[in-house]
Amino acid sequence: MTDNTDQIGPPEVLIDPIDMSELNPNFRKEIQSMPNAEALSACFACSTCTAACPIANIWDYKPHQLIRMILLGMRETVLSSKEIWLCLTCFECQERCPQAVRVTDIFFDCKNLAAEEGLIPSSIVALGKELIENGQLYVVTADWEREDLDLEPEVPGLSTEAVKKILSETRTGRLVKGGD
Amino acid sequence: MPTYSLYMGCSVPANYPNYEASMCLVAESFGIELEYMEDVACCGSPNLRAMDYWGWVMVNARTLALADKKGHDTVTPCNGCFGSLKDVYHLLKHNSEYRRKVNTELKKEGLEFQGTGKPRHIIEVFHTDVGIDAIRKKITRPLDGVGIAIHYGCHLLRPNDVTEFPPRILDELVEVTGAKVIEYPLWKQCCGATVLPVDENLAIRLAYDKLKSMKEAGAIFATVVCPACCNQLDLQQLDMKKTYGEEFNLPILFYPQILGLAMGFDESVVGLEMNRVPAGPILQHVSD
Repeated sequence: MTDNTDQIGPPEVLIDPIDMSELNPNFRKEIQSMPNAEALSACFACSTCTAACPIANIWDYKPHQLIRMILLGMRETVLSSKEIWLCLTCFECQERCPQAVRVTDIFFDCKNLAAEEGLIPSSIVALGKELIENGQLYVVTADWEREDLDLEPEVPGLSTEAVKKILSETRTGRLVKGGD
Repeated sequence: MPTYSLYMGCSVPANYPNYEASMCLVAESFGIELEYMEDVACCGSPNLRAMDYWGWVMVNARTLALADKKGHDTVTPCNGCFGSLKDVYHLLKHNSEYRRKVNTELKKEGLEFQGTGKPRHIIEVFHTDVGIDAIRKKITRPLDGVGIAIHYGCHLLRPNDVTEFPPRILDELVEVTGAKVIEYPLWKQCCGATVLPVDENLAIRLAYDKLKSMKEAGAIFATVVCPACCNQLDLQQLDMKKTYGEEFNLPILFYPQILGLAMGFDESVVGLEMNRVPAGPILQHVSD
């Protein structure tokens, strides 16, 4: 047996230990109560999601780590991470998960929680503003191009009122108002 | 042929009337009636889903409820709209609590989500309802076997339990025009459109990798069925010479433009001159 009586203090580790006092045990339940996140705890950290992700190489927290962090209750770190907003929403990770964890859907849930706390890129809020002001993200400007192709210059049936009304009464409206 | 409710979304009519016009022409020649939906606007895109799930559900549930009222399936030419409508349709079909909540809100407008009319992508209608054999009969100017790479787009294919879209539809639709489908390693990879507002360099890098993969595999042209994917692969291609010192010169066509040409429509009516990377060279591959 190795003589290790000289060793003083905790052993060296490859990563900093997690500070247990900062964990939020309710975080996993919070996520699981959101759409498509029921299977969250089935994750066995195989990293298939990370292997499938086209941009995981530039993420500090890889997809499988983010799922693990949610299960551990690292709410603040996950919700303030840049990674959730860099998700391409390509669904490659979710499609390949052998445990049917809906990884991309769960990242959407995380973004909603982050947005509720104001942790949201201003460029995304700007899109919300477009939707509230115009009811759409793109507005026809070159109507002569449409006419050249025998299309009506104005899009038939287009009415933006309902979209503006719906979104001004939901979180989009609150975020846009808060940003003004 | 049945009638369909046409949900255009915002990007195709504003940015790609060439897609809209060629889709309508081709549909008309197959006797498909596309009725523009009344009183609708934008689906909100995946970015709305990210910031405001409930708002995104309501906007799309309302569109689906309006389609239910008409009693037709909803078709759209945009993968973003397709993904949003399909996802919300799937949610409301499987989650009774959301369905109840949504319908309580919709009732104020005299609407109800019933889920009788299904959301579908227009090219799936071409493939399933028209059928490859009927399309083949209309091909009067087949392509000469020129190599075309296909970009399906993420929200058309995935999550597949929601989109229910098999990744062979576009292969068969391209083959029937006489073109040869070019397989390439990155065929499933994302174009980068969703991340564009958050990280432009990353978004363009994804498009660059995709184009490079197509080109290296021998593609002479590429086809898309989504305005956001077209932004990434066509429009952004113009700046890549500056950023990456490489010029792919790979014309990107919407599928109905290719089909339209093979069916004998003139280049002007499918709006070929609106494609950003000049797409005129495809005319050399269409038989006289």
